[in-house]
Amino acid sequence: MNYRVVGIVVLAALLAAVPSVASEYWLVLFTQILIFGLLALSADLLLGHAGLFSLCHAAFFAVSAYTVAILQTRYGVSTIPASLAGLCMGTLLAAVFASAVRTRGVYFILITLAFGYIVWGVAYRWASFTGGDNGVTNVPAPALGGLQVVSKAHYYYFVLAVLAICLASYRILTTSPFGLALRGIKSSESRMRSLGYRVGAHLYVAFVISGFYASLAGVLYIYYNRFVNPVAASFPISVEAILMAIIGGTGTMLGPFIGSGIILILRNWVSGFFHYYTAVLGLIFIATVLWAPNGVMGLIRSWRSGNRGEGA
Amino acid sequence: MPKFRALMLGSAAIALSLFLGSTPAQVQEKKPIKIGLLAPLTGPLASPGTEMVNGFRQYWNSVNNTVSGRKIEIVVADTTCNPDQALTQARRLALQEKVDLLVGPLCGHEGPAVAQVSAETGVPLVMDPAGADDVTKWKRTPTVIRTAVSSSQIGHPLGEYLYKELGLRNVTFIGADYTFGHEVTLGAVKTFTDLGGKVDRIIWNPVGTKDYSTTVNSIPANTGAVVPIVVGADRIRLFEDWFNYGMDKKHKIVASYWLHEDVLPQLDDRAVGIIGNVLHYVAGIDTPENKAFVDEHIKLYKRVPSWFAESAYTAGLWVKTALEKTNGNIEDRDGFLKAMRTVDVKAPRGPVKLDAYDNPIQNVYVSKVEKVKHPVLGDILMNKPIKTYEAVSQFWTWKPEEFLARGPYKR
Repeated sequence: MNYRVVGIVVLAALLAAVPSVASEYWLVLFTQILIFGLLALSADLLLGHAGLFSLCHAAFFAVSAYTVAILQTRYGVSTIPASLAGLCMGTLLAAVFASAVRTRGVYFILITLAFGYIVWGVAYRWASFTGGDNGVTNVPAPALGGLQVVSKAHYYYFVLAVLAICLASYRILTTSPFGLALRGIKSSESRMRSLGYRVGAHLYVAFVISGFYASLAGVLYIYYNRFVNPVAASFPISVEAILMAIIGGTGTMLGPFIGSGIILILRNWVSGFFHYYTAVLGLIFIATVLWAPNGVMGLIRSWRSGNRGEGA
Repeated sequence: MPKFRALMLGSAAIALSLFLGSTPAQVQEKKPIKIGLLAPLTGPLASPGTEMVNGFRQYWNSVNNTVSGRKIEIVVADTTCNPDQALTQARRLALQEKVDLLVGPLCGHEGPAVAQVSAETGVPLVMDPAGADDVTKWKRTPTVIRTAVSSSQIGHPLGEYLYKELGLRNVTFIGADYTFGHEVTLGAVKTFTDLGGKVDRIIWNPVGTKDYSTTVNSIPANTGAVVPIVVGADRIRLFEDWFNYGMDKKHKIVASYWLHEDVLPQLDDRAVGIIGNVLHYVAGIDTPENKAFVDEHIKLYKRVPSWFAESAYTAGLWVKTALEKTNGNIEDRDGFLKAMRTVDVKAPRGPVKLDAYDNPIQNVYVSKVEKVKHPVLGDILMNKPIKTYEAVSQFWTWKPEEFLARGPYKR
């Protein structure tokens, strides 16, 4: 337990020190890693805790990003109401799409896939409203009254602060009786049902909360990118969020962020000097499946328990 | 001991003098100019992306990578034809690599994203060859200029050509269903219908359509001509299905954007005689500038350049011409942009210069596929211009204000 406290303090100190040591580009990349980490974390609430493989999280992410972008650029709404509207729209959409929890297994994957494509299709085809392929550009920097967050370092700290709150609430959520019930459903749905749990309601609520986190990631994303187009709602983003969680380790809090770091650093930094970086990404996926099915966090955990001579 | 100390002092003095002496000398030897090139090197558009990099390198190699005594360094970044990736890569080039200038991107929808990075960082962007109309019309950025082409710029002459030169009164369009396709197609529809022509049908196909049989079979029987605007691998699929279903015997086909030089090697003699493009560049343009460019390109890369290679080549030429005017001073961004906006460039595609909205005024060529004997490549298909629309503006014959008030072409 002490190790954990020390670990958290060290990690927080390291993250807080990033803007003073990293160059501007790395700072931007780190911000991106944190934002996509949050998206991966939201998808992992379903995958790692409830055992549901969702392929539509880009939809909530994009809907909230589009809402903020359109409200800010077209209607001049200020940051706070626009962000709240973004969160609401994303979460509302999640409340609708959450009907997918009536299905399981491959049917759940298929229906979420279809939901995701609907949102992508709307963003792509309703060009008069969403800007089509060109998307919405020149979203202003977030502002609080007269205070505008222009500096990249300030925005990084802002994202970090939001993430701290998110992680704390996520921790409370997953260790609460509700979170434990989700884990129970993941292990054995029929047993939970026979114990008298309302499985459907639990999964529905988990889906909506997960959608809320994804919408929050969408709000952070739009102020980071200041640009959104249908790619944000596309299928590859949903898949990537899941892959990040799997590589980092599902059912953990740090895992999705580690996965996001690995994928984004490979794509953005390694691609600069190594042309076949996608092959490296492929090898990492294969290696994860073969040797680290529980992701990086699973590796760390087994290594630590091995050292102490404990069981898993 | 004193001897040792003297030695130390002496060597320190020498080192110091060397250091002091070398600093001003280094300043005099001018810093290289760093250009960031954004192109898709993986993904569906990797082949035009590679052509773009080749064309750009070809130009700079031809002038020894030097301008006004300054070396040129090119940093290439892979955008994968994804706007998010393009945005991140543009930021990397601007912030990490500290490039003096950005050139790219290729895909239309990456254009606005990269333009935004230019607006954020102030690094000038030479947009090539992304076509999004918005960039030089409704959503202009002071640091962004375009050296390639706006989508609808090639659509307008097409409409007039169909009506006036071919005497067609009713046609069917096959449009690629995304922003670029909409802008080219609807641009042509606009000029064609303004003259009095009638559009029988517009058949929209998403990019990556696997099967064109339903498309070719839904062409109205008595239509005057079929006008395809298709991109990527769809170009070959349409070609195959067109002949497989015997459409060549039923209909006339006049393409606006179809048989480019990069797909011609994959086609056969059935393509001969087809009007394959209405475009601002085809490899068969008969000028000394273009001959030199095409021959050199074939020598280097063993293939006939399409407009992607020419476009990047001209972007290089344009930058060099502007930099020569400002004595290689790219640090003065305003001065450089002003020079880019005012120079006249003799490109392989013909004379080009910018209009007041930062889009090139240039020729648009209607071209026909012909079979020619090439000394290096042997028997090949080549696009030869049969009609030239000279000095075409992105606003065609309308007043800019009138065009802008009308709004973008949208499906």
